[in-house]
Amino acid sequence: MDGSATFVELDRSVGPGCSEVSILDPNESSFYDFVSDEEVTERKQEEPCEDSEDSSDNPEDVDAVSEDERVVRSLRERDKLVFILSEAGKPIYCRHGSEEKLVSLFGLMQALVFCVQDDDDQIKSITAGAYRIAFLNKGPLIFVAVSRRGETPGQLALHLGYAQSLIVSVLTAAQLKKIFEQRRNYDLRKLLGGADRLMDNLLDGLEQDPAYLLGAVSCLALNPSVRDSISDAIVRHCAKLKNLVFAILLADSQLVTLVRMKKYMLHPADLHLLINLVASSESFKLSESWTPICLPRFDANGFLHAHVSYLADDCQACLLLLTVDKDQFFVLSEAKQGIVQRLRRYKCLEAINRAMKNGGYTMQDVNIPEIRHFLYKARPTAQYTAPLFSAPYDDSYEKDRLLALYHRMHQRMLLPGSQRHLKLVYVVGKYECLLCWVTAFFELYAAIEPLVEKEAVIPRVEKLLNWIKSEESRLFILTSTTF
Amino acid sequence: MSSRKKVLLKVIILGDSAVGKTSLMNQYVNKKFSNQYKATIGADFLTKEVMVDDRLVTMQIWDTAGQERFQSLGVAFYRGADCCVLVYDVSAPNTFKSLESWRDEFLIQASPRDPDNFPFVVIGNKVDLENRSVPAKRAQQWCQQKNGIPYFETSAKENVNVEQAFQTVAKNALAQETEVELYNEFPDQIKLTNDQRGGANRNDTCNC
Repeated sequence: MDGSATFVELDRSVGPGCSEVSILDPNESSFYDFVSDEEVTERKQEEPCEDSEDSSDNPEDVDAVSEDERVVRSLRERDKLVFILSEAGKPIYCRHGSEEKLVSLFGLMQALVFCVQDDDDQIKSITAGAYRIAFLNKGPLIFVAVSRRGETPGQLALHLGYAQSLIVSVLTAAQLKKIFEQRRNYDLRKLLGGADRLMDNLLDGLEQDPAYLLGAVSCLALNPSVRDSISDAIVRHCAKLKNLVFAILLADSQLVTLVRMKKYMLHPADLHLLINLVASSESFKLSESWTPICLPRFDANGFLHAHVSYLADDCQACLLLLTVDKDQFFVLSEAKQGIVQRLRRYKCLEAINRAMKNGGYTMQDVNIPEIRHFLYKARPTAQYTAPLFSAPYDDSYEKDRLLALYHRMHQRMLLPGSQRHLKLVYVVGKYECLLCWVTAFFELYAAIEPLVEKEAVIPRVEKLLNWIKSEESRLFILTSTTF
Repeated sequence: MSSRKKVLLKVIILGDSAVGKTSLMNQYVNKKFSNQYKATIGADFLTKEVMVDDRLVTMQIWDTAGQERFQSLGVAFYRGADCCVLVYDVSAPNTFKSLESWRDEFLIQASPRDPDNFPFVVIGNKVDLENRSVPAKRAQQWCQQKNGIPYFETSAKENVNVEQAFQTVAKNALAQETEVELYNEFPDQIKLTNDQRGGANRNDTCNC
């Protein structure tokens, strides 16, 4: 990984082909330019000049400072970029930049994917110096991530998978396939109008929100009796509604309750898409909305129809009622009114407001001074809890650093498809020690004071587990409610 | 992804090696010309913005390698093209003869929806040379036979007709592009069955 050597990782399981990426000519390709710092500093910044003997001798100089390259150079300041394009090489989306300015770069990405595919192989990632470029070719679309944040190809692939799910959630997989079967040259941006803010928010979340890393959701801390009353109010007004599959109440991207049709489960990845939808749509706050959304794990080829509304002006929790029937808006709108009235009568709105205002707990509340921060996932329910980031992780740099450490540790513990499947890892670091512990019931990631003796760690962690156990009924939803 | 974006057109340039594909590109996009021959490796990608009938259009131009050894790469590039430019050298009859197979190859590999009406443009390049050997009439006849492909004679070196040729490329591609169907019909309603859904693995699901 050192130096500027570029190597290409291929999926050997797909085919034996020895894949030479001939279009990667280091002197000409702007893509290479993008991944190699050395190359750029050597290159002179020549303004386009009048036709002269000099420049005629070096035709490649002509492209050297094209508009494309100027944009590419500005991209290089970013740690991480994500691109989405059609299999024809037409741009669809670019995180941190206008995809319209990068048309040539998108063409090159398409070429890379298909040159390798021509050899019955699949390009998965390229490592170039500190950069890693990951590719995901799924359905009629190509997803590319470029990062120097140190993620493994597996993690980048996971992120790209989420980006793919988001597009499916807007269009459905069936629709997506049909469009490109009919018109390979289709410009998908036409159908994704407005979806870029969902994508921006999702990609930021993948970096900053441990929910994605853990494949879990966090719950608003509530007394179980309050939570039961809320679930009960939903059941009372929704149980008789045919075709209603899920009722979900969210507060600040945390789950308050989830009531589901008996036979149907909601995958955490689908729930993440719903949470992302609510978090990135200010317009839901203005009025009740009716929006089709496809949940890829539930059914990638059909839409659910969501009645989305905030409970009340004085309670900013968001209720989603998801049905398969697209003509149910008024029925669900009525059900929502009933739910809110009942919640008000039973003082649940105040309880939700109090919990939202509280905003979570800190390590001081937990009172184990040796432990600075932790993530705890209850595996059977795919829910997690974590304290707020307090000192020394209260500034964004330190917080990012800790999150990156969690990412790295998570990768070491649970890499899908990997031989390694560790149960316990303890790493002594310069600034903190990290303990990861995975059992059938939980995953725990804890950042510990660097000077604590190894022997003292396990008793502290056990104390933490006891604390979680004692708070369990508030921090997690332990009983599943169904219609 | 917003709705009123500039139209994006993917344009593929094909033709035998050394007919001047890259020179045409350079003249068109960068207003430059070099006498020195430098083979394209695989493909070059260029972008050019043009106005067509009051619409701003971004052309994504794929300048492919003409050399035989890169032919297998080409196939990957053809898909989803909005227009294909076939280039030959008016001083080299062989390059004219090849147009037929370039066109066939493109139609097979790109398999556009309506091959008979797919927008091609034919360019006879290097009209500045003394030793012209393909008569304009012959080329025009060939274009007529192929459903009336627009034909241009250019000199990339002296910047003759280059702009006009590519303006036609953009215009014809845009005409195809804009006849869009609407994809706004909803798929069928999800049927709720008795099968459990939402992930087979219980451990994987949010069981709350």
